[in-house]
Amino acid sequence: MDDQVVMHLEEVSKTYIMGEVTVEALKATTMEILAGELLVILGPSGSGKSTLLNLIGGIDLPSNGQMFFQSQSLSDGGDKVLTNFRREEVGFVFQFYNLIPDLTAAENVALAAELVADPLPVDEVLQDVGLWERRDHFPSQLSGGEQQRVAIARAVVKNPRLLLCDEPTGALDNETGKLILRLLADICEKRGSTVIIVTHNTVIGAMADRVARMSSGQVVEIIKNEHPLPAERIEW
Amino acid sequence: MSVLSRKLLRTISYTRGQFVALVVVVMLGVLIYISMNTAYYNLERSQQQFYSDYRFADYFFHVVKAPESVIARIESIPGVVKATGRIQQDVVLLKDNNERATARLTGYPLPMESEVNQLHLMSGRMFDQDSSHSAEVLVDPQYAAANQLVSGQAIQIIADGKKADLLVNGTATSPEFVYPMRDASTMFPEPHRFAIIMLSQRNIQQILGMPGQINQVVVDLAPGVDETAIKSQVEEILKPYGNIASYARKDQISHAYLDVELEGLRINSRFLPLLFFLIAAGIQMVILTRMIRSHRMSIGVLKALGYNNAQIMWHYTSYALLVSLVGAVFGTIAGMGMASAMSNLYAQFFNLPQTIGGLNIQVVLWGFVISGLVGIASGLFASRSVLRITPAEAMRPEPPVSGRRIALEGLPFIWKRLGSSWRMSLRSILRNRSRFAITVLGVMSSVVLLVFASFTNDAVDYLLSQSFKQVNHYDYIVRFTAPVKYSGTIDWSRWESVQKQEPILEIPVKIHAHGRTEDELLTGINPAGRLKQVYDINSRQIQIPDEGILLSSPVANKLGLKTGEVVRVETAMGSGASRTRELKIAAIYDPMMGASYISYDTANHLLGESQVITAVMLKMDAPEVPAVEARLQEMPKVSSVMSPAREQESFLQLLDTMLYFILVMIMFAGLLGLAIVYNTATMAFQERRRELASLRVMGYSNTEVARLLSQETWIQAVVGIALGLPAGKLMGAVYMSSVSTDLFSFPAIIYPRTYFIAALASIIFVWIGQQLAVRRVKNIDMVEALKNRD
Ligand SMILES: Nc1ncnc2c1ncn2[C@@H]1O[C@H](COP(=O)(O)OP(=O)(O)O)[C@@H](O)[C@H]1O
Ligand SMILES: [Mg+2]
Repeated sequence: MDDQVVMHLEEVSKTYIMGEVTVEALKATTMEILAGELLVILGPSGSGKSTLLNLIGGIDLPSNGQMFFQSQSLSDGGDKVLTNFRREEVGFVFQFYNLIPDLTAAENVALAAELVADPLPVDEVLQDVGLWERRDHFPSQLSGGEQQRVAIARAVVKNPRLLLCDEPTGALDNETGKLILRLLADICEKRGSTVIIVTHNTVIGAMADRVARMSSGQVVEIIKNEHPLPAERIEW
Repeated sequence: MSVLSRKLLRTISYTRGQFVALVVVVMLGVLIYISMNTAYYNLERSQQQFYSDYRFADYFFHVVKAPESVIARIESIPGVVKATGRIQQDVVLLKDNNERATARLTGYPLPMESEVNQLHLMSGRMFDQDSSHSAEVLVDPQYAAANQLVSGQAIQIIADGKKADLLVNGTATSPEFVYPMRDASTMFPEPHRFAIIMLSQRNIQQILGMPGQINQVVVDLAPGVDETAIKSQVEEILKPYGNIASYARKDQISHAYLDVELEGLRINSRFLPLLFFLIAAGIQMVILTRMIRSHRMSIGVLKALGYNNAQIMWHYTSYALLVSLVGAVFGTIAGMGMASAMSNLYAQFFNLPQTIGGLNIQVVLWGFVISGLVGIASGLFASRSVLRITPAEAMRPEPPVSGRRIALEGLPFIWKRLGSSWRMSLRSILRNRSRFAITVLGVMSSVVLLVFASFTNDAVDYLLSQSFKQVNHYDYIVRFTAPVKYSGTIDWSRWESVQKQEPILEIPVKIHAHGRTEDELLTGINPAGRLKQVYDINSRQIQIPDEGILLSSPVANKLGLKTGEVVRVETAMGSGASRTRELKIAAIYDPMMGASYISYDTANHLLGESQVITAVMLKMDAPEVPAVEARLQEMPKVSSVMSPAREQESFLQLLDTMLYFILVMIMFAGLLGLAIVYNTATMAFQERRRELASLRVMGYSNTEVARLLSQETWIQAVVGIALGLPAGKLMGAVYMSSVSTDLFSFPAIIYPRTYFIAALASIIFVWIGQQLAVRRVKNIDMVEALKNRD
């Protein structure tokens, strides 16, 4: 693993203004995201993890500060640049999967594949997440873990450089959760993508290359983990 | 204000676009309901009022000539309340510009108070019994307006072979002249060519040289008497005097025409609002059902807190009720405005004495009641799903809505070719059946209205082109005051610019068959002639038989006649003894307008004459040749010279008023379609917010997401348009057949152009509604939509 920087955040902050009240969801943060790393962002609920991840993924704009993907500025680009960035470089996985109910597993994946010029083969990705047999099922016919695997396949099929996961195990039981984490670690390894996992569950930090700890809207420390554990060995 | 009411207001303010769209649909329903019903009641009321105040006759009898003394005998028939004898005769009216018009001179015995068919003075003053030199007359307001006649002006007629001067005293109308028309074969009034001239009985007798005589009896019958029995008794009395025709009020031209208008209004005033109310109810139901589904959790909480079903159902029902009330208020205001516009229009068309405006409180109340009921019913119906929600269950998050396979997937050939976005749209549409149904229904209704609004125009245009391009190929028709020898006109074809001429002999007759009698006009023309051709209602050319009658189907039906039967035909010319002959029914056809035909030779034979005519058709080098026209106008026995080209022009002017109505209807239809599409597209957008946000996160652009939503709307709109076009045609046919009468039957003609315009217009309105709904895609907050579910 080399230490090539894919993303750079410079004094990035996010403030929500709700009438009289302003909430500083993310205080000025400077950090780098490295190519091919598995980064786990840890912190209690409300500490600003999702806010940070959303900024990295280009689904939200910072109130202040600069963001660069490689050398391109994301913070000054406007909607077109952000949309393109998400389309080409980012795969998102959410706590509640957010699959399209009217599309089958395979079609949900194909929907993302249609966006890029050179996607991975849909069947191969479904095989990777172990859902090839269930490719013609609708989301309502799948369990939570299976839905999450479809969501991962959907995120991965574009072969993105960044795979961003917000509480990917939050709605799942332990065993299923581990399976999902294993899958994410594999993707990180096999495809060389940068995988960022946001979670409030500290034990997950054990599998990371680096762990960013957050508290009240601030990244308090970033720890390099010399000996990441395989996901199946993590104990809840 | 209770918290629930506050929640209601907040809901309305969040969904204000949809609320407004719903209000618009209800408003249009109330608007149309109130305006059409008000116009209908006003018109009908002033008709009834006028008829009874001015004693409109129940039955009309025409004779050649009878002494005034027959009136007393007719009045002695039990059931006859009052009979009035009078003279009515068409004469030539010489206009200042040398043109000729037809004047229908009508005499009135004075004093008029107790007589049948009295006059209502509209301007000027009543005529005198006797006048020293020129007789004082009143003219119908249409002719007066079209020819700029004012009181004190003199007009000249040719009557009894002599010129006579009349002095215009003012204008007047009567129940029989509400819609002044020459006869049933002219579809429109001809205010430049046809005048009703009213004068005292004594003056008309003197002018026409018929002292002490009458040629018409109009009778007022007691209510509920057997009309046909009395008719036969009157005919028995009139027989020695040459009974030409007898007909009931329903066959009187002006009345029949007014009835067509009233019937059309009556149908429209019931059907059109119904359409809007049904759509409003349907869409409210769908919206509320969705709203309740998405509020499932809050409803669970309310129930857990102790609110009962009735309270919660009322909460949602009051949303619908509020829509109805707001819609009714605006609809009433707009409806009253439109009602008065319609009344003004009718006042121009019809000579009615009372102003036919006026607000009908009852109609307004009904407007409120109906729209309120629509709101309550759809609200209660939709909110019945509240009953099924149990608090415990409602607290659990909902599983993803179930996607399912659709029939089309059975056709892999097609299905495989569709991209994921099409699959998504199709499945989503079929999953949301009620939304699909209401969108299709809404677009369909909008298209039906668009077709319906424009098709009367097509029908009239068709009638015109039929009459001017297919039926009549002449440039002038010259009518004579009485039958003349054809030989006297034969040298006309040697005149400059006359290409061709053909004779016409028109004979009013009574057809006797199966113990019944019907009046009919037989037009005798040369079967091999080129200048006038007969077409049926389906545009098929009909050959005129060399022998026997080509009979119109209404008369055939009334007499129960079939082709091949022999009937007794009795002539009923205005003068001379009547002749009776037996004629065979050579064929029966469905006319659009106009009557039955025989060959020119048969017509002469029927009259016991040879080579006599009542009119000549001329084909010219150009549609109008003023020199020839002037020369014809000068000829003594000529009663009128008509030019189809000129007639068509005045018809087209009348169509302009119709265009106004059409534009208003198109606007309403468009608003309906727009409101429905906006609402259902917004609903689809709200429900799929999360899904659409995921797509945005994935990297789909705003445009792509908007296209996805539009796709769904367009699929439904296309289905709606495809169903709406034939449905519009069907509705047009039903409407036409219900307003058609024996006198007028209308073809349900719709030009391809109209379908095209209707489709195009609905596409535009769908597009607008759709754009209004998807413009929010821009504002999808990806972060918000992907937040943990609450
Ligand atoms: N749209 C918003 N409007 C106002 N405050 C927000 C919004 N989104 C997040 N916040 C606030 O910002 C803070 C951080 O939120 P978030 O990043 O979601 O935390 P985490 O994901 O770590 O639980 C919280 O206090 C939250 O209430
Ligand atoms: Mg979070």
